[in-house]
Amino acid sequence: MNVEPVADLELLRRVRLGDESALEALYARYGGLLYTLALRIVGDRELAREVVQDTFLRSWNGHETYDAQRGRVPWWLMAIARNRAIDLLRSRSHQQRLRERAGPVPEMPPVISDDPADAVAARRAVLHALRALSDGQRMAIELAYYAGLTQTEIAHELHEPLGTIKSRTREAIEKLRPLLAPLIQSMGGPRA
Amino acid sequence: MIDNEHVVDDLAAFALGSLELAEHERVAAHVGTCAECGSRLAEYRALVGTLPLALAPVAPPADLWESIRSAARRAPSRPPVWKRLAVGGGAFRVTRWLAAAAVAASIVTWNARLQTELTRYAQGPQVEKLARRPARLVILKGAAQPQASARIFAAVDGQSGHMAISGLPSLPATRVYQLWFLPKAAPALTAATFTVDDDGRAWVVIRVPTDLDETRSLIVTEESVPGSAAPTGPPLLEAHEWR
Repeated sequence: MNVEPVADLELLRRVRLGDESALEALYARYGGLLYTLALRIVGDRELAREVVQDTFLRSWNGHETYDAQRGRVPWWLMAIARNRAIDLLRSRSHQQRLRERAGPVPEMPPVISDDPADAVAARRAVLHALRALSDGQRMAIELAYYAGLTQTEIAHELHEPLGTIKSRTREAIEKLRPLLAPLIQSMGGPRA
Repeated sequence: MIDNEHVVDDLAAFALGSLELAEHERVAAHVGTCAECGSRLAEYRALVGTLPLALAPVAPPADLWESIRSAARRAPSRPPVWKRLAVGGGAFRVTRWLAAAAVAASIVTWNARLQTELTRYAQGPQVEKLARRPARLVILKGAAQPQASARIFAAVDGQSGHMAISGLPSLPATRVYQLWFLPKAAPALTAATFTVDDDGRAWVVIRVPTDLDETRSLIVTEESVPGSAAPTGPPLLEAHEWR
């Protein structure tokens, strides 16, 4: 990805000083990614919109403060968006969430066509890495990350012992480490 | 070398936000003091951060930026505390730091008090988050349902909040509970519809449709699914004052 970490930090600094153009630049850079993530989690366009708006407002009004230890700026923004989306998801009952996941996939808007080449390459890299996981490992990761389920809830959902789910989760992440290390390093992340 | 004293077995689930609260706190406490596990966690977090890149990109609504800009103008950006305090000099600056310290102490006290309230309800990520950043607390007491109560924690942005409810009876599928804000000089505004579980409890994300200072009462009524445009039933829960 051709994103300059320093530029992101500078934008964040200006956002904290009330520079609206800096907020707009951050939105232009990451709004699409955050919306895609939020929509995947909540499955509803209006709720996804609410999540993205809340994410940027939290960086604007100082309710969320950037912590470099949590990774680069886009990862920080995605963590805020994911937490907000999961909060919304968890506001509904567990059984309702399970019913919704078993139901039809919500209608999605068309995929944007002007996908930058680097984003396409990153997507291929992550998809390739995920294909290396077993079905059980991939499901454990997806239920944790996108459905916001705890390990205990995943075990209950899949009718598997809790220890099995914990092992699958750990093994999945460890299997992904070397596969995604080049991508993470190209994005300026920590070396695996 | 990572040994059994470390939390490496739980780091993956921790990075995914998938641990129960007690486990989460145990791991968080350890990584805060262990450079080895902290380093591994940074790797895992970066890895987890790449997962959304696998999603087929979806274009956000064309007017979303305009909505964000409008909302941002209604909620001006606040510079960091240290910048706001670094105005003036000498005794004036000291006075402002003392004032800041007093504010911080009051926030700690408020947090402790709210945490006590929150522990009466099921723990979860929402509770943890709100306990760190409380803004307004509204306690609704049973009117037609004396055994029922609810607490609303309004977020600091003044636009949203969470409500914890207990003691309300379960409803048939055609009925729903509805939370209303009754403004001092305007018709009732809906804030949420919800149902309760078999134990009569629920945790609900709400909208705050109007300023609490411009509101005379909050009530919960029972309505037909999917909710009413105005209250039709008697207040089951109500609040007329808050902090």
